[in-house]
Amino acid sequence: MVLVDTTDIALGTHIGQCVRAETERIEAKFSRYRPSVITSINESAGHSIDLDEETSNLIDFSVLCYELSGGRFDITSGALRRVWNFDSGGHAPSQMQVRKVLSFVGWHRVSWHRPSLRLAFGMEIDLGGIGKEYAVDRALLLTRELSDVPLMINLGGDLRVSGPRQDGTSWRVAIEDVDRLGTAAGMLELSHGALATSGDTYRYVMQDGRRFGHVLDPTTGWPIEHAPRTVTVHAPTCTEAGQLAKLALLRGAGAEEFLRAEQIRAWCIR
Amino acid sequence: MVADATEARDRSGRLSLRTALGAATAGLLASGQGIAQDADSALPTTNIDTGVLYYHENNGRVQAIEPQLNIAQKVGEDGTLSLGVSADSLTGATPLGAVPSSLPQTYVRPYKIVPLGTAVTTTTASGGSTVVIVPPATGAKSQTLAASTVVPANTYPLDSSFRDTRYAGNIGWEQALTSNFKVNGGLAYSKEHDWRSESATLGVAQDFNAHNTTLTAGVNYESDLSFPIGGTPTPLTAMNGNWKGPDATRDEWDAVVGLTQVMSRRWLSSLSYSYAQSHGYENDPYKLISVVDAVSGQPTAQLYESRPDSRRKQSIFLDNKVHLSQDVVDLSLRGYKDDWGIKSFTGDLRYRYQLGPDYYLEPHARFYKQGAADFFHYYLVADQPLPEYASADTRLAKFHGLTYGLKFGLPLNERSEFNVRVEYYNQHGNGSPANAIGQLRQQNLFPDLTAITVLFGYSYAF
Amino acid sequence: MKRMSGHWLQSRLLSLAALAGGLAASTSGCGVLGAKPWDHDLLSQRAMQVNPYPLEAAVDDHIYFSKEASSGGRTFAGGGCGCN
Repeated sequence: MVLVDTTDIALGTHIGQCVRAETERIEAKFSRYRPSVITSINESAGHSIDLDEETSNLIDFSVLCYELSGGRFDITSGALRRVWNFDSGGHAPSQMQVRKVLSFVGWHRVSWHRPSLRLAFGMEIDLGGIGKEYAVDRALLLTRELSDVPLMINLGGDLRVSGPRQDGTSWRVAIEDVDRLGTAAGMLELSHGALATSGDTYRYVMQDGRRFGHVLDPTTGWPIEHAPRTVTVHAPTCTEAGQLAKLALLRGAGAEEFLRAEQIRAWCIR
Repeated sequence: MVADATEARDRSGRLSLRTALGAATAGLLASGQGIAQDADSALPTTNIDTGVLYYHENNGRVQAIEPQLNIAQKVGEDGTLSLGVSADSLTGATPLGAVPSSLPQTYVRPYKIVPLGTAVTTTTASGGSTVVIVPPATGAKSQTLAASTVVPANTYPLDSSFRDTRYAGNIGWEQALTSNFKVNGGLAYSKEHDWRSESATLGVAQDFNAHNTTLTAGVNYESDLSFPIGGTPTPLTAMNGNWKGPDATRDEWDAVVGLTQVMSRRWLSSLSYSYAQSHGYENDPYKLISVVDAVSGQPTAQLYESRPDSRRKQSIFLDNKVHLSQDVVDLSLRGYKDDWGIKSFTGDLRYRYQLGPDYYLEPHARFYKQGAADFFHYYLVADQPLPEYASADTRLAKFHGLTYGLKFGLPLNERSEFNVRVEYYNQHGNGSPANAIGQLRQQNLFPDLTAITVLFGYSYAF
Repeated sequence: MKRMSGHWLQSRLLSLAALAGGLAASTSGCGVLGAKPWDHDLLSQRAMQVNPYPLEAAVDDHIYFSKEASSGGRTFAGGGCGCN
């Protein structure tokens, strides 16, 4: 969704189309479901594949995040989905199932020498953890080439504003109540930068009455313990906000401490 | 290029994760391209769909083999061109419509016109029949050859000279005029040795609600030409070997409106209504209806059937597909009625059971029930006035049909899939109607039809 | 997804129960039916398309058109062949 603060309908529509085109382009290019660069990479597991500029940049970025998170942010962790089913109350897998699938997870098993990528057979990558926030930032940058009008781009809760509104006031964003999904818990006022939320209240697994969040630790194959239900971060760009939120969530019990130490403006909901 | 994150330091000189991330993000976003370039090289532009069907009915009835090919090609940004061809080769016997009898019965039909004086041998007929030369009229320069078949006592009469190959082709175009509105059009042609059909179709689809709702509407016009072997017989006249009437035509207009609605992330629902009106030659030129003696039930004459020269059909169709995280369930219901008095109900259920990340097994069950046409009769009784319309074609009778099938599918990658489906169909009607006369009480007037089909399919996108 | 023979029925029953809960929630909530564009993941799969296997559907239509009196429903009522 893009909100454009202007009275010029033609401009607003054109900007909307530009944002839509760019987000659709990125969604299609990195889709896990439809034929895309990601599916080509995953199909070629076991062999080398050469990547284009943009994909290579995203891979480089994800490698940095892998290092900064001590291995807990890992784009090869998608394989864990084969044994973990998080759709509102799925069942946790067995120790043996998790051990078996872990042999297909781990960036250390990937050979990356830009532009050539080689996944071990049976592995897969997923850029979903970077894709949406990247799309918001890319779309916003492209609109700056078209016009200076204030606007907000919001893709399902990951959003960024170009600056304050025409009259100098801030944009207002509703924060969803995690216990009563679909209703607002509060309002936020934003005049610059981006917001991204990590953690998903819709998807979890119940095991012995305990609720496991859907954030899995790729080093163990099990969900991160004592992770907040959601972390929302405010940062200059959506990509940063998204990554910081994920890095915080991946710290589990230490999420708040991490955010404090790095002086990140964020909210955790437990 | 991604900046060297290890060197990022903040105001206090300390290595900061946040600073490293900020620098890396700046690098990532700065290196992008301008306004949406065409990065669609990964998306497939051509789709090839092929299949072969093997169809086999019980008791020496119809067998068919049908290969098909369909190609869809993206043209430009918003257009798709599609081409399809198929060939359909049938052999075997179909019911004549006549009743079985405790006495052998002889059936005759014209099949060829030859110049007067041509030598005729018995091998020119087919399906176990004898060639009969129909006495030519005085002054005629040609003579008609008819095939005469004897059906033994207590045997359901089948016409075993039924052999046909049908070729069909179609071409279509679909164009997106806006991101929410598409139009489509197509032409189709099909020909067998006694039937030709041409049709044209036009349709539109409008999306609403961020592609969650789609409204569709379409019209189809079909024009058919029937040129049966032996010519078109005059309805309700007695069976004979003479060459019959000229070619006959028929046309049909159809309209469909539909609504497809995404109900939730897992549930898609569609509802459609269709209406069709046809005029022209609706008879089956090869089918007979027996006239039987009012006491003994023995056939005394065989008449060519008679159907009205127009037909109006309506149907409502509801389909629901639900995704259960791995498996998919599909349930559809259809209600139909036409102005020939036929009403039917169809229920179809499929459960796609995902065996692994790739292959699946899909059991399928279909239940079908239809009522008889107003003018359906198992037979006519001698010495009673002839109705205006009468047909003994069991396809217009009251019956129910059950299909059980199993399909196995193996997507070979994101772009191609191989599948094979085996189905068993059983059609059962009342073979012993309560008011059957005389010897007809001992006969089965509607033997079950059972058929097995095997369908191989392979689709590939690139 | 891996399958454990002992759990297949259980996981399917849980899926169906979750589905029932999910459907109830989605229909009892606010007005608009549908799914957000980023929630069209399952719907984009082949099996969830309106006519996912057109050749198979055409074969079925043709077979039933030639053996039964009804036609039409999903698509046009005409048969294009001389078999009815």
